[in-house]
Amino acid sequence: MTKSVRVLQLLLLSCFTSAPPAAAESGNHLVTAPHPPVVEIGTDFTATCMIINTAEVTADDLYWKRAQATVPKEQYTKINTTALNVTIHVSGERNEWLFCFCKNVSDNVILNQGKFMHGVLLQKGYRPRKPENISCIALQEETIISPIITCSWDAAGRQTKDVATNFKLIVKVINSIIVNVSTEGNSASVPLNTFPHCMELEIWVEAKNKLGTIQSERLRRDSGYFVKTDPPANIQIISEKSFPTSLLINWNLPIISLYVGLMYEIRFCQNGSHDWAYVPLVDTARNIQSFRLQNFRPDTVYVTQVRCKDHREDYGYWSEWTSNATERTPEDQPKGKPDLWRIVSESDVGERRVQFVCKDPVFANGRIIRFDMKVQEQKDKVKNTSWESFPVNRSDHSSSSTLKDVLLADQSALKVSVTAVNSVGSSAAASLFIPETAHELAPVRELRGGVHGGQMRLQWKPPNTAAVTEYVVQWVSGDGMDWQRENRSTTHTVIKGDLRKFVCYTVSVYPIYSGWTGQEATVQVFLEQSAPEEGPAVRLHRQPGRNEAELEWTEIPQSSRRGFITNYTIFYKSGGELHSVTVPSNTTSFTLRSLTGNTKYDTWIRASTAAGSAEGSRHSFTTLKYAPGEIELVVVGASLGFLFVVVMTMVICISKKETIKKNFWPQIPNPGESTIGYWSPDYPLKAETPKENCLSGISVLDVDMCDGKMVFDEDKTSLPLKKDKYLSEEHSSGIGGSSCMSSPRQSVSDSDEGGDPVDTTASTVQYSSVVASNGYKGQTPSSQAAIFSRSESTQPLLDCEENPDMLVQEGSRHQRRPADNDPAHFNQLLEMEQQEVLEPLDFCPLEEDSELTRTDEQSADWLPTAPASSYMPQLGGYKQQ
Amino acid sequence: MNGRVQRMSFQQFMELTTTLLPLLLVMAVDSTRTVAASSSNQQCGNSLQQTLKLTRLAQKESVLLIKTYAAQGEMSELFCKVSVNDVPDPNISGLEPSERIASIYTHLQAFMAHFKRVYEQQTDLQLPSSPLLGELTVVSARSRDLAALMNGFYQSLFPNLPMPEPAGGPTMLPPPQNVFQQKVYGCAVLRTYKEFLSNVARELRTLKGKVCRRRMETNTFLLRMT
Repeated sequence: MTKSVRVLQLLLLSCFTSAPPAAAESGNHLVTAPHPPVVEIGTDFTATCMIINTAEVTADDLYWKRAQATVPKEQYTKINTTALNVTIHVSGERNEWLFCFCKNVSDNVILNQGKFMHGVLLQKGYRPRKPENISCIALQEETIISPIITCSWDAAGRQTKDVATNFKLIVKVINSIIVNVSTEGNSASVPLNTFPHCMELEIWVEAKNKLGTIQSERLRRDSGYFVKTDPPANIQIISEKSFPTSLLINWNLPIISLYVGLMYEIRFCQNGSHDWAYVPLVDTARNIQSFRLQNFRPDTVYVTQVRCKDHREDYGYWSEWTSNATERTPEDQPKGKPDLWRIVSESDVGERRVQFVCKDPVFANGRIIRFDMKVQEQKDKVKNTSWESFPVNRSDHSSSSTLKDVLLADQSALKVSVTAVNSVGSSAAASLFIPETAHELAPVRELRGGVHGGQMRLQWKPPNTAAVTEYVVQWVSGDGMDWQRENRSTTHTVIKGDLRKFVCYTVSVYPIYSGWTGQEATVQVFLEQSAPEEGPAVRLHRQPGRNEAELEWTEIPQSSRRGFITNYTIFYKSGGELHSVTVPSNTTSFTLRSLTGNTKYDTWIRASTAAGSAEGSRHSFTTLKYAPGEIELVVVGASLGFLFVVVMTMVICISKKETIKKNFWPQIPNPGESTIGYWSPDYPLKAETPKENCLSGISVLDVDMCDGKMVFDEDKTSLPLKKDKYLSEEHSSGIGGSSCMSSPRQSVSDSDEGGDPVDTTASTVQYSSVVASNGYKGQTPSSQAAIFSRSESTQPLLDCEENPDMLVQEGSRHQRRPADNDPAHFNQLLEMEQQEVLEPLDFCPLEEDSELTRTDEQSADWLPTAPASSYMPQLGGYKQQ
Repeated sequence: MNGRVQRMSFQQFMELTTTLLPLLLVMAVDSTRTVAASSSNQQCGNSLQQTLKLTRLAQKESVLLIKTYAAQGEMSELFCKVSVNDVPDPNISGLEPSERIASIYTHLQAFMAHFKRVYEQQTDLQLPSSPLLGELTVVSARSRDLAALMNGFYQSLFPNLPMPEPAGGPTMLPPPQNVFQQKVYGCAVLRTYKEFLSNVARELRTLKGKVCRRRMETNTFLLRMT
């Protein structure tokens, strides 16, 4: 073995020795070999580097580099002193260089590095692999099979960019021609002059690249194996009245049978369904152009399709299906009974309103044009009632027809029979019995409804009593209603109607006892729940209080609930503080408590279902500042307090009457009874005169009052002054001397009113003053005459001084008026007043103490209650004067 | 004594074995060959059936071609009524099936040469898009395929009998002709070819009963001789 390798290397060397001239011509001292166009990835490659035209270097000075990396010396093989081999493993798909270099053993080598190097370009690739899974097809082209055979295959193995694989498709007609076509892809078409019918073909693919060639397995088949024809042409479907359960299909051959003998496949389904039924292939043998499909349902639209292929097994491809051929089977007499049902609603007392509705028989076998109905009361069994016709005028979306409304007494029972009629005939009669209300039989037990797998399911237990023959399941939503029948053994079912999501269905199950309807059992079910469409609108039930507010809301309309309301959550918010209360779903009002007074609240309600919730509109209200009745309580309390004070005052006044009387109206000694009356023997009559005139001395009382008042006012000054004044007043009873009731303003207004001419001149009237040398001495009997002197002061007079007539008006106007008009009498009066003033001066000090806290009004009010009796004698005395 | 008895029994067993073994071998080989003959006979029938089918297809296409040819211009039908001598004989010659199959094959070869000449002539007379040229190509290709089938069928039937060369040497084609002669010649070739194919179809139906059954009988006879 080693020897043979050596021989091979020597052969290579001999080749190199013949090759060097080219390298020598270029001046290179190193030559590499071989230079293959491509190397196979995954194999070992051996190259040789040879030294030529120099003895300066030897093989020991050589080394190999691959992709900038020096090849390890373990991979070197020294052939002789001038040749060095290297063996590398080819990996990676990128091209690369393999260089042979010489070490820098001398200056010449260093200076001529370009002459001491040589390289081999390694172009890498994969050896082609055998193509697999060849399949060929020849399509129909107009009325013949196309002479072009198209084949495809799977290219195994890998390719590199520089070493691509080409494929050659070869088609050989056995004992005849051979045609090929090349391609870089995985499919190709071979054109022949004509499609070689009845000939055997041999087809294979040849894969070829720079590393070699390989052929696929040969596919040897009859040419019919590759044929794919067009689908049958002009398919027609024929409905024949005399055959309501069958349809006849006709078609044309897509290609003459001399080219391809065909077999067919037929499939059909009801219109709108894609559940195809296939006719067994044995029934659609070769060379047929028509087929009768049987066992169809009358008055039903069917869709049929046909396709074909070479009649030989495993030969050829199935053509595409034909387009749909659609036809309706003829009508036939209805089979079975119509589905009769009733809707009972309350009418007047003792009556029911029964509406009869009917669905077509399951096998209507045509369009039901009318229902014939017979209603018979159970009491009149003998009576032969006639059939009544109800034409069917049904909209497309309604599956049932309303026949008749009957008002039925609760104590009556009915038997109803209905037949369905189409254009061919009528069905058998369906019967339904409506029992008396009191005699309705037992309902099913433990009815439960739910949803599972997107279907509404019901479950119940049969009644305990009589034998049930069947059940009717009825569901109602809004104004829609439908029903279905279940057999007697059914205890759970699925509602087969077209149910909508988020709609509440009231589902009832009626047991039927040999045609007699039993009592219903009802349950409400949603096919699917979601959040309510809208929330409840909240409002205040009444005015809010100070700490509470009563809310009320209306239930969400059934159509907007979209689920069962599980609860309501009431939110109320003031400022940034949010509170919530959850209440049961059957609640429609709620009182919020512990609210803050005089605060604005926003409130809203969230209605929740199992699948979500929705909030209603917001409502705002403000709580009261005071609770109702609080103000009234305060007012009443205050009033009661005031009343209490008043009452207590009155009680005190009454109880302390004597004390008050003593304080406010002290007992004044009657001057008449005084012994002083006897002081002067000159005035015996004067002392007695008042006694006689005391009843008519009203004006005298006024004067006392004025005196009292005057005393009161002047008491604000010093007592000595009072005494002086008294003394002075005692003598100033001239023009208006003792008047003290009027204020200065009154004096002005009175003067404005234009009173007496005397008044208008009052301010300018010169006062006259009486000067007494000894005050109290005047009380003593004295014969000394009074001295009058005219005052020169211009100071305005007091009211009572200005308007002496006012005193008359207020006090004793009527009595004094005659004197006003008589100047002579007036002067006389002045003299009398002077004496009157002098007389009560002794009593004024007593009154001063009691009147210190009184107002003028009080003093006025008290005037009538004044101790007139005590003054009366005194006044009487003046009157005399 | 016991040893002697045992030796005799063994000798008798060996004699019986040597007598039965050849018989069993003959039966086994016979059954195998019977199966092979049956399979070969079925293959013969299939091959013949395939040839007959292609013959009918070629015949159908030749009829269509004649119709197309006759539809080329006015008075075209008259061209086909003129007799011509330079076309092959539509009759199949030979007595033995091998001779008759070989005759069919050589006739087909001859017709292919004539079709080539007709195609050349019609290329000058017709537009390139003329359906006649296309149909001529198809009929010619079908003739080639039929010849290939006949050759294969012959070789399957008579594997050791080489296909004889045509008796009259290479096919004689007519000399240059004028347009009328070309028209007449073309129609004559097509008409004769159609007639020939009718004869071939008939011959193949006959051969179906003769060749494939006899082949089975021959095989059976050969097996029994061995």
